[in-house]
Amino acid sequence: MSIAPLAVNWLLGQEDASAAPFKPGLKRPTFDLQPKPAHKPPQATAMVSLFMQGGPSQIDLLDPKPALNKLDGQKFPGTIKYDNAAQASSTVLGSPWKFKQYGNSGTHVSELLPNLSEVVDDICVIRSMHTGVNNHGQSIHAVNSGRIQRGRPALGSWLTYALGAETDNLPAYVAMTDPRGLPVEGVLNWNNGWLPSLYQGTVIRPREPRILNLEPPSYLQGDVQKNYLAFLNELNQDYLNKNPRELELAARIANYQLAARMQTAAREALNIEQETAATYRMYGIDEAATEEYGKRCLIARRLIERGVRFVQVFTKNQYWDHHGSIRSSLPASCLKTDKPAAALVKDLKQRGLLDSTVVHWGGEMGRLPVIQNDAGPERVGRDHNTYGFSMWVAGGGFRRGGTYGATDEFGHHAVENVVHHYDYHATLLHLFGLDPDRVVYHHNSRAQTLLDKQPGQVVNGIVENAPLV
Amino acid sequence: MRRSGQPETIKELIPSRLDFPPRMLRPLLLTLSIVASPLTANAGDVLTYEQHIRPILKAHCFQCHGEAGKREGELDLRLRRLIVAGGESGPTIEAGDPDASLLVERVRSGEMPPIDKKLSDNEVETISKWIESGAQTARAEPESIGDDPVFTTEEREFWSFRSVHRPTVPKTSNTARLRTAIDNFILARLEPEGMELSPVTNRRALIRRAYFDLLGLPPTPEATDAFVADESPAAYERLIDRLLASPHYGERWGRHWLDVAGYADSEGYTEDDPPREWAYHYRDYVIDSFNAAKPFDSFIHEQIAGDEMIPPRSGDLTAEQIQNLTATGFLRMAPDGTGVGGVDQDVARNEVVADTITIVSTSLMGLSVGCARCHDHRYDPIPTRDYYRLRAVFAPALNWKAWKLPQQRRVSLYTKANHEQAASINAEAAKIDKQREVKAQQYIERTLAEELATLPEPIREPIRVAYKTAGKERTTEQQQLLKDHPSVANISVGSLYLYDRRRDERARKIDVERKAKETRFIEETQKRAGVAVTAATLAKFNPEAAAELKRDAEAAAKLRAEKAADDLKRYTERAAAIRADIPRHVFLRAVTETDEKTPATFVFHRGDHQQPKEQVGPGGLSVLEQRLASDIAANEESLPSTGRRLALARRFTSRDYPLTARVIANRIWLHHFGRGIVNTPGDFGVLGDRPTHPDLLDWLAVEFIESGWQVKRLHRLIMLSSVYRQSSQRTEQHDSLDPDNKLYARMSLRRLESEQVRDAMLAISGQLNTKMFGDPVPVMEDAVGQIVIGKENLDGERKPVNPIALQGEEFRRSIYVQVRRSRILAELEAFDAPEMTPNCDRRSSSNVAPQSLFFMNSQQTVNVANVLAQRVIDEAGIDVTRQVTRVWRLVFGLRPTAEEVDAASALLQQQRELLGKATDRPRELTPETAALSTLCQALLSSNRFLYID
Repeated sequence: MSIAPLAVNWLLGQEDASAAPFKPGLKRPTFDLQPKPAHKPPQATAMVSLFMQGGPSQIDLLDPKPALNKLDGQKFPGTIKYDNAAQASSTVLGSPWKFKQYGNSGTHVSELLPNLSEVVDDICVIRSMHTGVNNHGQSIHAVNSGRIQRGRPALGSWLTYALGAETDNLPAYVAMTDPRGLPVEGVLNWNNGWLPSLYQGTVIRPREPRILNLEPPSYLQGDVQKNYLAFLNELNQDYLNKNPRELELAARIANYQLAARMQTAAREALNIEQETAATYRMYGIDEAATEEYGKRCLIARRLIERGVRFVQVFTKNQYWDHHGSIRSSLPASCLKTDKPAAALVKDLKQRGLLDSTVVHWGGEMGRLPVIQNDAGPERVGRDHNTYGFSMWVAGGGFRRGGTYGATDEFGHHAVENVVHHYDYHATLLHLFGLDPDRVVYHHNSRAQTLLDKQPGQVVNGIVENAPLV
Repeated sequence: MRRSGQPETIKELIPSRLDFPPRMLRPLLLTLSIVASPLTANAGDVLTYEQHIRPILKAHCFQCHGEAGKREGELDLRLRRLIVAGGESGPTIEAGDPDASLLVERVRSGEMPPIDKKLSDNEVETISKWIESGAQTARAEPESIGDDPVFTTEEREFWSFRSVHRPTVPKTSNTARLRTAIDNFILARLEPEGMELSPVTNRRALIRRAYFDLLGLPPTPEATDAFVADESPAAYERLIDRLLASPHYGERWGRHWLDVAGYADSEGYTEDDPPREWAYHYRDYVIDSFNAAKPFDSFIHEQIAGDEMIPPRSGDLTAEQIQNLTATGFLRMAPDGTGVGGVDQDVARNEVVADTITIVSTSLMGLSVGCARCHDHRYDPIPTRDYYRLRAVFAPALNWKAWKLPQQRRVSLYTKANHEQAASINAEAAKIDKQREVKAQQYIERTLAEELATLPEPIREPIRVAYKTAGKERTTEQQQLLKDHPSVANISVGSLYLYDRRRDERARKIDVERKAKETRFIEETQKRAGVAVTAATLAKFNPEAAAELKRDAEAAAKLRAEKAADDLKRYTERAAAIRADIPRHVFLRAVTETDEKTPATFVFHRGDHQQPKEQVGPGGLSVLEQRLASDIAANEESLPSTGRRLALARRFTSRDYPLTARVIANRIWLHHFGRGIVNTPGDFGVLGDRPTHPDLLDWLAVEFIESGWQVKRLHRLIMLSSVYRQSSQRTEQHDSLDPDNKLYARMSLRRLESEQVRDAMLAISGQLNTKMFGDPVPVMEDAVGQIVIGKENLDGERKPVNPIALQGEEFRRSIYVQVRRSRILAELEAFDAPEMTPNCDRRSSSNVAPQSLFFMNSQQTVNVANVLAQRVIDEAGIDVTRQVTRVWRLVFGLRPTAEEVDAASALLQQQRELLGKATDRPRELTPETAALSTLCQALLSSNRFLYID
């Protein structure tokens, strides 16, 4: 495995011709980020994953369970798989929030997600997600890189390895982090594993400098750097004049120009000032609660427009891990993310990009139907549940509207049309026009794939056009 | 909008080597380019089975038709006459008529081989032509052929398998440039092409080249000036000798060896890649060996069999024992996952053995022996059996059936004195431990009393007795009693801190009550006395009440003051402080043979350890066997160990072994010139390059052997030659006749290697910490996943917490920076530092935009430039011309021209103005320093710094 060297490693793939002037005799495989054809006509060509780290409570947001409300405060009539045995209780916690049906599809959405209710006919809610491993770290890896172990390439790494990117002056794969910190498992969330390090996610930081090593410290930006580069160019030209036949020296001069171009392109892509007031309003950038997350969702859209293949927007560490005080903290988490997430779907749609861009909203787990931390109504929470949880997907060939799969009457276990993480991955690869067995990388004498021999199946019920069998 | 405009491609500017096949066809270099395809014929050759056809069939067909007794369809393709005889489908070829030949039909249609990898059109064509021309053999074929591998004369006589002979030093027409025999060999090859050596380069370039080459560091301006001023003809030779004597020499050349040895400070194999704590002893041994001019044959012997060359341990290890055991760390360099939970032990162990064989074979044999692990080598004459014979050499030390985990096999460096000292310090600390125990017991008693005091009087004594009664002897009533009163039941040394908190709570409660009492007392007293009373005057009017309040305050203070946990912690800390003086327990990673029974080695069918087949004894490559005087015995009676590795090591360095001396001489050449005489230094086999100068390679190898394997002597021979001292200036003739500089009519311009870039920046800015040896400088991930120097300090969720100061360690040479296989220091990896999986036999030298961005924007570069700017101001004062001159000399080893001074001064003025206005400029930087820093940064970013000409 190779963790990233420089933060700007995505630039490595841009000039494969110059990558190895002294090449050993045997030809080695070369890697780049040039766009590559899919194995069959793709429905999706780009993806934004809004990763809700911590585990949003499906029974309070997307998977209503009237049975729980009837039993609220009583003993749970079954067996619970707990994570934290010390604070475990078997007292049922009915959802404190009301659900209503929306749109032509009649999808149930909680009152905590008013904006999402406006786009229900564009999204497909999967109610039967399952990873089956009750820790954040392991379940994150399952959802995001296919297996519960650390060290395998993330989904974005696989997609850019298979397809490259449609841009050559922006990263192919972007991870956008929250100003209040990294998700659980930190930088491993966008790790390339053993794939070459140019397939690692490039972090767009929540504050300046947004991309590390792409800009100098602020006081050296602008004219100071221009002067430095002009002088450097003179030095290099002078040295080239003394060694006029050294193409390597000319290439390095060109590399400085390329680097400067990338600075310009990235700066342009990250600058949201040109966006209209209406767009700002749509993403909630004009409101304190949604400003920060809204900006990141808007930047995600701008990156996708400019040919970035995969963008993953992270919430802070354990943002949705509501073990306690769920009555106040879950609404806060929803408030921050609901409007921008719905705006992204609307915005991509109005720009004609939703058809080819997958939007994913979800985390690594959901939550239990019983109380955790029985310390009064304001303090109660819910423990982990990876046996049945919800997320939604939109665009790029995913079904428009409706729900898929079901959990038991208490929302604990997925029981109908279970979607394992590898089924979700198989479906994504299908939409990107990729054959799961052909996106392969040889490592340690093994042919490695995203599914890694797990029995992942395309989930026909969540796509618009089921594959011909 | 999605697809942005196609940027100008720089491909137009930089031709890839692969873009120029026509060059390969130029008549001049035809002899040098036979690597293009080893398996197809050149026009005009008489095609024979042995030379042209067998290699194709060996690569594609033998696996099913001939190798290891396999005869699919009754067909054996290993001899012409067997091919003619054919198998179930009848004769395979019809001499003279390719179109009637089954062989051609099957391979042309792609029916055979029945796997994805088909024959190339060229190969099919070659077979067809051979049949057409009568399907000839080079000589009579053997009468009989068994299942053992067959070597043809062509294979036995392959260039690298032939013995090394001292070639005649050729004569040249130009004799003026001859300094060492190397010049004869190079010139003799150039002259027929109408080429000659380039002029000698200038002295500034020469000293810079020699410094980077031997030390990996730039010369100081003073050293450069002294060398330029020294007009003595021996000045250069003295320079080389001085550099060879520098301790930095071992750090530079040791690094080259560490690449092929696959040195890393982590275990690899699993994604955890845990640190390998004691690997650095081996790194230090390598540096030491180069500095001490250890003969390379001894260096090899020690690394392969150091443990077999020393008496077994009795008591303290001697210096020699430590050295030899450390050397065997070479055989412990492979990635090793056996110390990590959850791995399949058998697979992991066998991988360690396989990787070790890869390291040994690529570093010392120059062959990809590993290909023969699962099947006979497709191209080289290395049957699977040979692979396992080689494995048998290492089996007694790396016994996968009786494997020692990394923790179990460490060799302790503790001496008897260390043990004694540790024991006496421990005894001292134990006294403190004892005091702590007594104290702890007192606190428990106190706590018990306090807790009991909160309970109703009648049950106090029963609970106290229950608490004091040992758990097993408690009656049911006692158990219940304790269960009902957990605050007593839970009293223990470990929970005292919780009771400290309860004391705090009690103190708080006393305070609250006291406050209420005080108000009440004041009111009462006021009412009674009829005067205004305050807290301060209460004592005067109501001394009893005041005394009660005072008692309460004291009680609260006492509760707060006597914290059990804090007090006990002080004892613990004192004991730890005493124990800190215990000598550190240091270990070696070594190889030894300790098993009673020598393990048997089997050929693994298809490399699968679960399918052992034929048993084999120790050995080397059969194809070489007839050239070699000695066997590798299964057991050497005179040694406590089997002696197998010692025998192999001695074989490598014996005069009749053709590979090792050539391989090492080639590596030394490679690092001086940027390309090897054999430009595939780890592969001297069929798929590797052929030597550009076979006689020169042999001459170097013989010189090397006969001088007693002196590496420094080889450096001198090479560096004192005219070839090495040439200018790197390319001419039109060079570009048209020999663009890749295979013939050395000039020096090649070379980019600094990763360590050289970092070390030179530290040296030039004056920050370099030249401390040698010891624990590696740690690396960690920063907040975006970039690998930087630093001590990782993460919480349970991998969130970084407080940074830890490194106290100058961060400025040490790159060879001392931790090599975590999965986490290579970003600034080194950007410049092609190798990934050790398991080793690196040839570095690449890339030219990519992240390197530009590193110089333009990275904090590392900006920091170095700031420090350099301050250094220049300290040394040159505030005069701009002197500053510019100084920075030029420090970075380039040159004085600037007048125009360069003017241009730099203009830059400084512009930058001063801009930076003077910059409000976000760090406070410690004046506009002048910040401006000078951008000039420093420009020089450090420039090609003149980054390249050695």
